[in-house]
Amino acid sequence: MMDMKILLVGGAGREHAIAAAFSRSGHEPRLYCLSDLVNPGIKEFVKRSGGEYYLGNINDPEGVVKAAKKSRADFVFVGPEEPNFHGVPDRLEDGGIPCIGANRAVSELEMSKASMRDLQWKYKIPGRLWYKKFKTFEEAVPYIEEYADSVALKPARQAGGKGVKVIEDFQVYLQEDKRKVKREHAESIVREYMKGYDDIDYKLLIEERVWGPEYTVQCFTDGRTVIPMPAVQDNKHAFEGDLGLETGGMGSISCGMNLRWGVDDGRAILTDEEYRKSVEIVKMMIDSIQKETGEKYHGVVAGQMMLTSVWGPTVIEMYSRLGDPEAGNVLSVLKTDIVDICEAIIGERLNTIKAEFEDRAVVVKAVCPEGYPNRRDMASGHPVKIRGNGDGILWASADVREGRIVSGGSRVVECLGVGESIPEASGRAERLTEKVSLEDGWKLFHRRDIGSEKSMERRIALANMAREIYQYRERRGLLGKRMIWIPGKGLVEVG
Amino acid sequence: MAGILGIYLFDNRWNAYNFGVFGLMALQHRGQETAGLELLGDQRQKVEGKGLVEQVLTSTNTKGHVCVGAVSPYPAEDAEIQPISLDGKVSAAIDGKILKVDGYRWNGAVAYEENLRRAFAEQVKDGGDLDGLKGFFSRCRGGFSYVAVNEKREMIAGRGSLGVKPLVLGKMGFDGGIVASESCVMDIIGERVPISPAENIEPGEVRVFTPLSAHSEQVATSKRRAFCSFEYVYLARPDSYINDVPVYRVRRSIGKKLVEEGAVDADVVIGVPETAMPFAMAFSNETGIPVEKGFELTGRRVRSAMKPNQLERLKGVQLKLNVISEAVKGKRVILIDDSVVRGNTLANIVYLMKEKGAKEIHVRIGSPHIVSHCPFGVEVPPEDELIGKHLLEKKIAEVVGADSFKYLSIDGFIDAVGMSRKDLCLGCFTGKYPEV
Repeated sequence: MMDMKILLVGGAGREHAIAAAFSRSGHEPRLYCLSDLVNPGIKEFVKRSGGEYYLGNINDPEGVVKAAKKSRADFVFVGPEEPNFHGVPDRLEDGGIPCIGANRAVSELEMSKASMRDLQWKYKIPGRLWYKKFKTFEEAVPYIEEYADSVALKPARQAGGKGVKVIEDFQVYLQEDKRKVKREHAESIVREYMKGYDDIDYKLLIEERVWGPEYTVQCFTDGRTVIPMPAVQDNKHAFEGDLGLETGGMGSISCGMNLRWGVDDGRAILTDEEYRKSVEIVKMMIDSIQKETGEKYHGVVAGQMMLTSVWGPTVIEMYSRLGDPEAGNVLSVLKTDIVDICEAIIGERLNTIKAEFEDRAVVVKAVCPEGYPNRRDMASGHPVKIRGNGDGILWASADVREGRIVSGGSRVVECLGVGESIPEASGRAERLTEKVSLEDGWKLFHRRDIGSEKSMERRIALANMAREIYQYRERRGLLGKRMIWIPGKGLVEVG
Repeated sequence: MAGILGIYLFDNRWNAYNFGVFGLMALQHRGQETAGLELLGDQRQKVEGKGLVEQVLTSTNTKGHVCVGAVSPYPAEDAEIQPISLDGKVSAAIDGKILKVDGYRWNGAVAYEENLRRAFAEQVKDGGDLDGLKGFFSRCRGGFSYVAVNEKREMIAGRGSLGVKPLVLGKMGFDGGIVASESCVMDIIGERVPISPAENIEPGEVRVFTPLSAHSEQVATSKRRAFCSFEYVYLARPDSYINDVPVYRVRRSIGKKLVEEGAVDADVVIGVPETAMPFAMAFSNETGIPVEKGFELTGRRVRSAMKPNQLERLKGVQLKLNVISEAVKGKRVILIDDSVVRGNTLANIVYLMKEKGAKEIHVRIGSPHIVSHCPFGVEVPPEDELIGKHLLEKKIAEVVGADSFKYLSIDGFIDAVGMSRKDLCLGCFTGKYPEV
């Protein structure tokens, strides 16, 4: 196709990675972008390709359609999840504009964590956690009071990754304190985190707490064929050594398809079989949501998984888009032309594409102004400087105001290192972080430990531990089964 | 010595008090005479007193999401109960001893705590902001670990550059971090992480917690290490890791080494509770000589060696160690203890066993002879009280009334710990301490 035009919706680190992938395409597309902030990195690609950068509300379907028409885009690539939840892909397709992005109906997989679990149980998809959903806080209270155990409290709707609290409640001598916090947090989920989201009935989800290494399996799909990408491990804790607050992700690692230590190193976080099973689970999730809604899934779907002792590969959450920062890991090693993949999705002939990924280790490290994640007011508005040419640095939460780049309150840049092994790639990413600073002297932080040898050893040890238990259960035919003997009542089986 | 603890929870809906109480309980073996816990939240509250944690920390209305606490063995008569206040705004819990502070002239005429306070007042201006606090502890020399907190609810925790005293970091999910003398604290109040309960804090490393961040800094670069040997012999709990080495593994290895160095034909192996039990079990496993329970306890379990005076110690031993006659009657006994300080309590045990009919008693000690008073605060008495400094093994056997008596050799001990000699402080066995 001559003079191809693409509109990219969204302006974070993930979209910068997508823009970079488009810029490598042999189709040499003209890139347009619609975002609510000016991402300096995407802006550069847009400028170089001869496209245009629009500022606007990415969650407003009319606005996106308008931008698509104005740019005369051949297709639109939707980066983040919220436009999906707002029906942006639906409106684009209604208007005859092809779109890579899960439509409103199928993005329910991500938007409603409660529906996702319902579906998983209804279709008996492996890796399903025990859960309970509530419409009001009051409904949940007797349950929290009575049932003391280790749980994850989650907003029932995807709320930008915020509001999740995992409370391990095992030590009975600390139960009262933990129950109090569970109760208070459940209340703030319903009253604060879910405030303003009136597109969903259920407000609060309580799930059993599990442990094990986490990983994300991202896939392209046209609804029939699924192209799985390398498994990526994100790091959610804000501070080094997996300490502290939950973030959108402080950095991610990948190597090969199954999180190997290095290109020529047999050690890995996942076995080939576990990776294969995880992809199978994501496929089953896609099939079930299509069956349930009668709609086609065109775009990206990802399983945010954990290797647990209960199930082996287990679904924690589903994404209806690429992960951030996980997008950087997979797109930077994607050998196949991303435009070819997009066109195949649109034409529903993804089966004709053989997607290839370079066998390299990739480590992405997010750099954040102090204050992130809980005091974004303090983290935003600081002028940002990058020494050198900026190669390997993805702009994330940043904006251009009066000709200056300022921090937006979240992860300001993502530094991407590539190497023969994860520790080597981590070292490269580490050196890139040194090039980033805030001109007003406000502190930046990032996690040096992501992808380090020590961290890899711990992740692999944790995986081995979970594996030993779930394989034992598998051998005994107990995979996913949970049995509780309730004195006076008898044996209760879940799973 | 002491057991120190710091808990930092970011979300102020948490009350750290009970975590502090049970955390200090897990450190109780490091100090049974005083307990103190300071809570920082909307206000600052301190609960403290003489006695065990469960006797002292009984408050029901103490609140705060940050806390620092300590348990200590016998303090000086009027000494402040840890955590101590450095200037009214900064509180600190210290394990081990700070021997000097760079740039400050130590005054031998005033108390230890007073010296620290004066040094702090001289060197830290504006009431202890984060940099002032870090700077102060980086100028402290000696064998110590510390947790300190200021009025802005900023907490730092670290180890002196020699790494004499231990300190580990544990986590509580997305909610915060815990620092403590020993990793067993994490099993009791922390998140149960299946791979390892806690992360070792390196010598010269400082862990910083503020309402906005948590990170690690390396403030000292000295390569000289002097990990306290006595942690492995006696001080630490067997379910802890000290410097990433499982204490139980060392104690088992010590038992095996005792066989290598001091095997003797006998009918039964008996360990002196509680510390020497793993030594005895390993000795038995190695030789095939059955291990037996030799004693029964009356009253509460106490660490008799850490009692402040001879009467208290003997009281402790006699109540703790009533000999089960059926276990020893007519038998040749290998009696294993962790260490010998003055030898009085050992003499008492041997006497009691002979009285209950033991035919022979061969004493084996799971550490080398103690010849020196520890400058870093391990409760070793003055040198003129130390039996090992003055008498040879053969003589000690006669004094305590045993048929034979043997220490573990220093080389054997080093082998059992599995570290290189230069990384250990062996001062209590050799009289040679690292320069501070």
